[in-house]
Amino acid sequence: MYEAVTPRPDGSSTVARFALTAADQGYDGIVVRADADTDCDYDAGAIADRYGVDVVEGCEVRADDRTAAASAVDRLRERHTVVCVRGGTLNRFAVEDPRVDVVTRPMVDGDVNHVLAKAAARNGVRLEFAFDRVLRADGGRRVQALRGLRKLREMVEQYDAPFVVSAGAESHLHLRAPRELLALGDLLGFTHDQVETGLREWGRITERNREVVSDSFIEPGVRRGRYEEDHR
Amino acid sequence: MKHLPKHVRPRWRYLGVGIESWPDARIDRRAFQRDLWYAAQNLLGDVGSAAIDGTVYGFTFEAGVGDAVVRVRRGEVERARAALACLDRVDGHPVRVTVRGVSGTVRACEESYIHRPLESTDEKRVEFEDSDRTALARGGRVDVRVGDGFAGATDYDC
Repeated sequence: MYEAVTPRPDGSSTVARFALTAADQGYDGIVVRADADTDCDYDAGAIADRYGVDVVEGCEVRADDRTAAASAVDRLRERHTVVCVRGGTLNRFAVEDPRVDVVTRPMVDGDVNHVLAKAAARNGVRLEFAFDRVLRADGGRRVQALRGLRKLREMVEQYDAPFVVSAGAESHLHLRAPRELLALGDLLGFTHDQVETGLREWGRITERNREVVSDSFIEPGVRRGRYEEDHR
Repeated sequence: MKHLPKHVRPRWRYLGVGIESWPDARIDRRAFQRDLWYAAQNLLGDVGSAAIDGTVYGFTFEAGVGDAVVRVRRGEVERARAALACLDRVDGHPVRVTVRGVSGTVRACEESYIHRPLESTDEKRVEFEDSDRTALARGGRVDVRVGDGFAGATDYDC
């Protein structure tokens, strides 16, 4: 299972500290989604080797309007394995662009309705169940977050849209082990399978995107290499 | 007071819990207990909070790391785990609480999951993000003082 993290300078921990903590908690990897405009420099391969977890180079586009977001996605798609777009006002843009992997925090300052859920399903853009405000806020903000998660879950179930789950960690102290997120998900009305699928989905995105940029890939179903064995 | 007959005594489970925070955090058992109850009450309500009955035993915390044994009713372990996940601050200090394991007795829990940190915390000067700073290092973990807070790093970064 994978988890998405926001490192320094936006967050308060380095990629290495996230990797060390995630390894302790039993994750297979972390997806580093630094803000695309900040300078976050790290050697993913070296950190992965040192701490024994996969470190995936990702980014999060935070733009004010769709023109800026579209040009950022254009620029970053080649450079990063996982491209996320901060949702809210950009939900509509993000779910309609198949180059986007994940829409993060779609229910904060925004909404997901049947139109967006269908578009997400059609374009294979994952909607994020962000547990951050359930874990770390209280009172009215938490109630809003719970309401948002519930609506999003209903949309995702109805239209079979792909999704990811994340605790939205901005510090290594925000990371929660997979079992803890599963227990929390149970209370919020998610099934065990849903939360687990959501955490594994980060890994699946990574695997697929790495395959697409590898040299042997030509187009879906077509790859350079030896003939496959016939399994009849 | 007379003990209850064995078959009507409540059955407990003991969670071995690890606690991590920034090195300047001062947390004691009372504060941890109070905030655990608050977290449980906020998440599960009065009924759920009373049902898990989380009581903190054997609490230690020093220089940003610690552990505790939390007693919960048998059958409520998963709800207690969720409540512990939502415990993100104690006395205003951000914390990461993680359940290391579950046992049927306090003793088994302490033997299996409570291990006092082997490494001591050392204060030293490190090169971090192109400047010289003070830091507290423990094992491979390095908490670097940045402004009036800390940045979480490791020996790989400094």
